[in-house]
Amino acid sequence: MLFWQILIAGFAISSLYALGATGFTLIFGVTGVLNLSHGAIMVAAAVAAWAASESLGVGSYLGAVFGILTGLLLSLATYFLVVGRLQKSRKIREEEKEIFILTATLLWGIMIQEAIAYLYTNNAKTVAPIVEGVVSILGVRTPANEVFTAVVCWLSIGALWYFVNGTRAGKAVLAASMNPRGVTLLGIELSSVYFAAWAIYGVLAGIAGVLLGMFFGVSSYSAGPLTASAFSIVVLGGLGSVYGTLIAAYVVGYLETLTAYLVSPAYRTIPALLLLVVVMYVRPRGLLGRR
Amino acid sequence: MSAADVYLEVKGLFKRFRGLTAVKDVSFSIKAGEILGLIGPNGSGKSTVMKSILGVEPPDGGSVRVNGVEVAGWPPHKIAQLGVGMVFQHSRPLHRQTVLENIVLGLLPDKLLDFFPDPAIEARARAIAERVGLGAALDRRPSTLPFADLRRIELAKAIARNPKVVLVDEPFAGLTARETAAFAKLIGEMRDDGRAVLVVDHNVKSVAALVDRIFAMYVGERIAEGTVQEVMQNETVRRVYLGGALETAARPESAFRDAQKPFLEVHNLNVFYGKAQALENVSIHVHQGEFVAIVGLNGAGKTTLFNAISGLAPYVGEIRRQGQSLRGKTAASIARDGIVQSPEGRELFTEMTVRENLDMGGGRLKEKDRVERLEWLFDLFPILKERANQTAGTLSGGEQQMLAIARALMMKPDLLILDEPTLGLAPRIMEQISKALERLRQTTPITVLLGEQNVTFALPHADRVYVLEHARIVWEGDPSRFASEVGERYL
Amino acid sequence: MLRRILLFPPVWISLIVVVAASTLPLYVSGYILGLLTIAYYFGVFSMAWDLLFGFANEVNFGPTFLIGLGAYTAGILDNLYQPPIFVCVAAGAFAAVTGGVALALPALRMRGPYFGLMTLVAVLMLQNFVVVAAELTGGEIGLTVPDVISIDDKVNYWIALGFMTFSGAVLYGLSRSPVGLILQASGQDAVQAGALGFNLTKHKLAAFIVSAFFSGLAGALMVFYLGAASVGTFIDVTVGVQVIIGAVIGGRRTILGAAIGAVFLIAMGEALRPLGDLATFIVSGMALFVVLAFPGGLLGMVKGAREAT
Repeated sequence: MLFWQILIAGFAISSLYALGATGFTLIFGVTGVLNLSHGAIMVAAAVAAWAASESLGVGSYLGAVFGILTGLLLSLATYFLVVGRLQKSRKIREEEKEIFILTATLLWGIMIQEAIAYLYTNNAKTVAPIVEGVVSILGVRTPANEVFTAVVCWLSIGALWYFVNGTRAGKAVLAASMNPRGVTLLGIELSSVYFAAWAIYGVLAGIAGVLLGMFFGVSSYSAGPLTASAFSIVVLGGLGSVYGTLIAAYVVGYLETLTAYLVSPAYRTIPALLLLVVVMYVRPRGLLGRR
Repeated sequence: MSAADVYLEVKGLFKRFRGLTAVKDVSFSIKAGEILGLIGPNGSGKSTVMKSILGVEPPDGGSVRVNGVEVAGWPPHKIAQLGVGMVFQHSRPLHRQTVLENIVLGLLPDKLLDFFPDPAIEARARAIAERVGLGAALDRRPSTLPFADLRRIELAKAIARNPKVVLVDEPFAGLTARETAAFAKLIGEMRDDGRAVLVVDHNVKSVAALVDRIFAMYVGERIAEGTVQEVMQNETVRRVYLGGALETAARPESAFRDAQKPFLEVHNLNVFYGKAQALENVSIHVHQGEFVAIVGLNGAGKTTLFNAISGLAPYVGEIRRQGQSLRGKTAASIARDGIVQSPEGRELFTEMTVRENLDMGGGRLKEKDRVERLEWLFDLFPILKERANQTAGTLSGGEQQMLAIARALMMKPDLLILDEPTLGLAPRIMEQISKALERLRQTTPITVLLGEQNVTFALPHADRVYVLEHARIVWEGDPSRFASEVGERYL
Repeated sequence: MLRRILLFPPVWISLIVVVAASTLPLYVSGYILGLLTIAYYFGVFSMAWDLLFGFANEVNFGPTFLIGLGAYTAGILDNLYQPPIFVCVAAGAFAAVTGGVALALPALRMRGPYFGLMTLVAVLMLQNFVVVAAELTGGEIGLTVPDVISIDDKVNYWIALGFMTFSGAVLYGLSRSPVGLILQASGQDAVQAGALGFNLTKHKLAAFIVSAFFSGLAGALMVFYLGAASVGTFIDVTVGVQVIIGAVIGGRRTILGAAIGAVFLIAMGEALRPLGDLATFIVSGMALFVVLAFPGGLLGMVKGAREAT
């Protein structure tokens, strides 16, 4: 019984992690940016959904849409106001750009986080779930929300996969992650590709954020740990490998769930951290990493 | 001529990179007071040999002995401490430090507890600076110095510790004739000081006066060794660098309809990379339907010229397509409008298949057009059809080159720019590409701008030839006159 | 030689500033003194960080790992055994150095973002440990120590100022010494540094140790100023962010700039405190603005006005 509970809950959580981490990997793979405001964007999406459905009373479905839109807008803002300017700056030497972009996204993330805390306090908020009630899976009473979460996550990942492999625009984005110059030589504007990448990322982060808000609830304090966890998963799986990210998300998700159920919820994050340390010492490239 | 005099000895050097043999069975030795020239085009393996000697890339096989001590596999700093100095091709000074401090760096011992500057070291640094001609610039920062002085800093750093062996990478790149003479003198002095000097370059001619002997490489192996004269007369060397007999099939300029207003015009192009001038007052023109070859060695400026035309590099001057200036257009829009480049680095999407790469090229065509075009290209390059579902990264060099060209052709270009298509390829593959080019010329109205250092490959396809040397166009004319007027200089 | 040092503009300007600062207790309120005391300790945190990043080119996202190790070791030791303060402080510095070495060893084999992540992970682990081992560390509430260096605002202020000046002198001196030159070369161009005969691993490890030492020392001293230690003051990622941002907006690779940036940041944060939660937002906004518009930092802005490099 417990086994099935863990299996199912773990699956839902891992799917959520997978979605968030996939977005993070996408941006890194295509633009080379490790977006340290990732967690903040997710939290902002969740809080926007909450604010819309609670304060404005539009209902949870529209609230979710509002949340996703927020994710999209913040992501584009990150690109246009912060990252894009640094990437094009002539005052900074190429080798130094990485640290500047990291610092800037970190600061930007803090700004978002503090703005949320200011406008809505830093108390935890739970977004009203779209799907309520309980279903029975294999004899286990599972909140329908969990099932909903897992389904939406996988649909989103599937949509992304289809986009990247099945549409011309998506293939351009994929190609840009392999060779940006090649893309330009074929007459495709890199700026359009980057716009598309950040837009998709914003939607993915928005969905992940809203789902997280429905599942666990978020507060402005969640932003940092969320970024750290996405970062860890992506590194565990191997920077630049989407499959690696997916696998690592499940490893981390299940480690956390197992720990929460079998040991104590307070120690949830520890085994994953330990695993990360071990991997860093033994195989810094990560599971399936190339770069 | 005792064994003790041999300061650097390389035997049976072997290095592979992921399935590609970069260096195979390379052996040579350099005595004290001798300069050996290691010559080869890009991709010949000479950089890998250098890196093996320096310890940057440990060799997979063979031995490297410095003054009798086996150093293959040692970390770079230990090899340096044994007495090996390196003048890098690209100047890499510390920008926040003065010239004096940069040279002092070359003299500092590898100590952790070195807190107080040593006046003796400073004095030696000044002496070295004087010797290489930097006496007046000691307190200035590198960003304020002209290009040649940055190169002098590199020379100073390399000889600071009085090394027995000095490696010099492309010593004269970017220098004027007068500066070249000054540097040649300094390198000669290194030899006179009793050091063993290895000069690495891609052009025999430019180092001919300086070196005592030459070791010529191609595709990772030795193809000739001996005195300058011997190597220049060597059959294989001539074939590889110049090819065989020169045949031409040029159409005169008047045959092109846009004789008065050429399709592509480049006027007084100047391009700078930091301090170095990569192109100086270059002017060329290409008629619609014409095949123009730009001939020149690595580093002459061909790629820079192509990048300027394609909008990938900033420039001073004018570039016009059918009378309209290209300035201000993004690189992607220039490509979309029909000027497409197949670059030296190929820039393939290595994790996509051949078919996917080609489809990316044909991304903007209608389905029917794309399929038609694909068929035509498969006909032009049959091997690509065979490998259609193979990942681009696993193809051989020649296949990758064909894919790059085919991908560019998928875009239905008006002007196709080919940058060094035969670099590092075996003669058999060169044949295939040559045939494909010939078919293009005969059966399509396409305009081609071909950049090559392999003159024998380029000439049969060219209607007109430009020679680019050290950032300047030094000759223009039709291929039949090339051999008689310029050919000799191309070895 | 000494004359040359004293005549060097950054040196005599700094001396004047320090002398001026030391007179502040005569006419400034205890509140401001307290604020500046913290700011000075942060100045040391940022300077130590700048040595590692600016010179050895190792981006450390978790300076609070080292700071926290120093602070908590000193605090816990005092709680358990009440040895003299200087013993606790020394123990703190030693713990930080040990932590620094443990972090450095894998770091020196990694490139790019991996090391940064490693440092972040280290902070999270320390944080988790502190929370979990609440018996020893006071957990989330924090820990109080029975001793403080002094209860007089003025004395604490002078100690902090003196410590910052001393640390600044050592770190700055190191940065300008031959060893500093080697470190800069190692950070800017590893291949060239190797070709010039320098053992990079050795030098970078030394840089880690020095950075860790000062971070831990400052952290430990600050515990005995505050009389308390908590995750929120010493370990939390936001604290680390302040350290980094202080260094970046002050001007990387200048050591002195790091101190200026840190002091500026803390002072700004306090000055804006009446605005409540908006304060952090505004300070981050200002810092972001500096990063986007003035990559050379505050010091770079000043230098830019003098040199036309």
